[in-house]
Amino acid sequence: MKFIEEQLKKVGQLFEKGKPLEKFYPLYEALDTFLLTPGKTAAKAPFVRDAVDMKRVMIFVVLALIPATLMGIYNTGYQIEVAKGLSHSFWGAVEAGAWKVVPIILVSYAAGGFWEVLFAVTRKHEINEGFLVTGILFALILPPSIPLWQVAVGISFGVVFGKEIFGGTGMNVFNPALVARAFVFFAYPAQISGSTVWVAVDGFTRATPLAVAAATPKGHSVVQALGDAGYNFQNMFFGFIPGSIGETSALACLAGLAFLLVTGVASWRITVACVLGLLTMSSVFYFLQGAERLAFFALPPYWHLVMGGFAFGAVFMATDPVSSAATNAGRWIYGFLIGVLTVLIRVVNPAYPEGVMLSILFMNAFAPLIDYFVVENHIKRRLQPKKLEVEAKK
Amino acid sequence: MATFQIKQGRDIKLKGAAPKEIVTLSLPRQVAVVPSDFKGIKASLCVKVNDAVKVGTPLFEDKHCPEIRIVSPVSGRVAAIDRGEKRFLEDIVVESDGRDEAVAFRKFSASEISGLSKEDVEKTLLQSGLWPVLRQRPFSKVAHPHEPPKSIFVHAMNTEPLAPDVDFILQGKEEQFQAGLNVLRRLTKGKVYLCAKHGSRSKALTQARDVETHYFAGPHPAGNVSTHIHYLDPIHKGDHVWYVEAQDVARAGSLFLEGVYSPERVVAVTGEGAGRKFYAKTIVGAPVSLLLKGSGLEGMRCVSGSVLAGREVGKDGYLSFYDSQLTVIPAGGKRTFLGWLSPGSDKYTFSRTFVSSFLPPRKEVSLTTDKHGSDRAIVLNHIYDPLVPLDIMVYFLLKAVISEDIEEAERLGILECDEEDFALCSFACPSKTDVGGIIREGLELIEREG
Repeated sequence: MKFIEEQLKKVGQLFEKGKPLEKFYPLYEALDTFLLTPGKTAAKAPFVRDAVDMKRVMIFVVLALIPATLMGIYNTGYQIEVAKGLSHSFWGAVEAGAWKVVPIILVSYAAGGFWEVLFAVTRKHEINEGFLVTGILFALILPPSIPLWQVAVGISFGVVFGKEIFGGTGMNVFNPALVARAFVFFAYPAQISGSTVWVAVDGFTRATPLAVAAATPKGHSVVQALGDAGYNFQNMFFGFIPGSIGETSALACLAGLAFLLVTGVASWRITVACVLGLLTMSSVFYFLQGAERLAFFALPPYWHLVMGGFAFGAVFMATDPVSSAATNAGRWIYGFLIGVLTVLIRVVNPAYPEGVMLSILFMNAFAPLIDYFVVENHIKRRLQPKKLEVEAKK
Repeated sequence: MATFQIKQGRDIKLKGAAPKEIVTLSLPRQVAVVPSDFKGIKASLCVKVNDAVKVGTPLFEDKHCPEIRIVSPVSGRVAAIDRGEKRFLEDIVVESDGRDEAVAFRKFSASEISGLSKEDVEKTLLQSGLWPVLRQRPFSKVAHPHEPPKSIFVHAMNTEPLAPDVDFILQGKEEQFQAGLNVLRRLTKGKVYLCAKHGSRSKALTQARDVETHYFAGPHPAGNVSTHIHYLDPIHKGDHVWYVEAQDVARAGSLFLEGVYSPERVVAVTGEGAGRKFYAKTIVGAPVSLLLKGSGLEGMRCVSGSVLAGREVGKDGYLSFYDSQLTVIPAGGKRTFLGWLSPGSDKYTFSRTFVSSFLPPRKEVSLTTDKHGSDRAIVLNHIYDPLVPLDIMVYFLLKAVISEDIEEAERLGILECDEEDFALCSFACPSKTDVGGIIREGLELIEREG
């Protein structure tokens, strides 16, 4: 350790004030504190500090994404095998998937990291570890057939216009990874929507479950239609279906959720509220009767949980503490409405088969307003003369 | 009388508590009075170097309210008046002649005190130099004699890490303490609240008369003044509340009973870095070196007060006027390889991101002053509220202060708070945000502009 410390110190001298590499100090700081803990002591009270820091928190979010990433790699390869009619082999699928997915992740990190460093250097602030999360989140919500240049353009837009122009980490209104995806979605719809992009094989067409459900004609059974297209609850839950890289497996998202909740990194309220909102709205449709009833209405409400990107969005996207509501009451409202909007967009809006991304972005915009009302309510209550709350205790 | 069960907050069980034995130390050869201990006071000197002083001779007074004076705790001569940048008055060092001569005041019997007028009590407290033990909220500054409080709080419990046991300190001072309470009664038309820890067996506290006694149970900051005020008589805009440490109430009692300014102070010497841990009977302004005689202080940091709310004084410094605790902990700051990846079965954390979070809690923890991370933007905003028992939305209050929106900060309750109430938030914040410091800046801004 001594050796590393000394080497870092030696290199560090080049980045000091007045030295040639002064401008790139944030880069040095990032590397230095990545290798060795900063070793800074508290200059004023409190003189003792918790062992946790932002690096660890962000790394833990990345760790929570590992099941979804691994599953995404395997499934991408598996779908290629199925599409090409190859015989199935586990390692074959992993290899084929890795060739598609790993470059996407690397490009996302490289382009996102570039902007993060550029802004840190020009604004003279430290490099925030948040980009480690944004980079992989974005990669996992893309279709596996996405051209790499679009990955780079998308993450650039997300980091710069989703985060940095608001003042950087902690100030952004929208989730940067979702801003990136929304940009690609509206700018290059051909590569990110429709039936041809979800399996990384040229010319192969297969509609996603949501598209199948939305296209089922009135009077037909939607479960039957899904079944005919090769989708059932089980394979959608495990994620052996075409879709965005990391989103297909509800199981992998559940594993990530369990990790986030056990370590206390994410707020459980938002995820629970998302699920409640989704189930409530889909139940309303389910029990709606009448001749004009769309076939999609009759989908059992709990099927919505495993379809599309809902599980991924509710666990990893909606819970971003910066762009979500920051009051407890607000978190319930925010999450619930995300669930409701997701179903609304999926079921009754013919333009977009998937609604999670748009509903989270929409609620990101409303989170400050929700918080505003919760805080005003809190202030009103504060100003009322308080009755002595006495708890007798033996 | 009521008991309040506080749910929010956490106790940090540090290693190095002082066993309950009082050792009377010899009179220090030098003491110092530090003007910056007295918030809200603009010091105007009354002495020059080499002036002879007695116990109770004024050293400086407030420029705006000259009745408030700060006096010498020993007799002897003024050895030094240290000034820093821009002639900022750093401290006044007094060398003791060991004779303990004191300025004399009128004595009263216990029954006479209750018959005194408000003006008489005020005059005696101000003249004797004991007045500054009274502090006011908002802003935690020395109480202003012309701004009468709506109530007075006696702070008779402490939940800071390794905090001195108030019950123990008051042992044998029951009579002075009660006399002091009677003195306080004279100062306000409102109530005098005595706030003690749940389960206290101190006779001075449980048998106190003519005041409202309340008990607080639960983790730190259940023992903070703000917590007590918040539950009993919350502060709104325009209110003043005074508060005073229990030990100083006993000093006020002995001033009236015995007719002399008593500089006595019992101090808990704590922390794993202190060679000997004990309760020291000494005087206010005592040098740290006297309290830590015989401790090897290499690589240690000396804090007057607790590790959460104290002030670093260094091994050549002096105890702060209001503190009855000295904490010595290792400086730490050793760099470790890939620390963010370590499972951390020995790490201390409120979070659940280390293996240690899932092991049975240790009885005592050893902590250094290591920050364990670098400063970052605030991202996790849900960790503050469970650590603050006040009805405050911490994250939104921080935002209001950072954007200098005074009106919003007041509406969110900043006037009820003090820096120390957010020490646990700063402790737990993974972004290493100085939450208390931001609140203090907000309060300073309001004081300047309001």
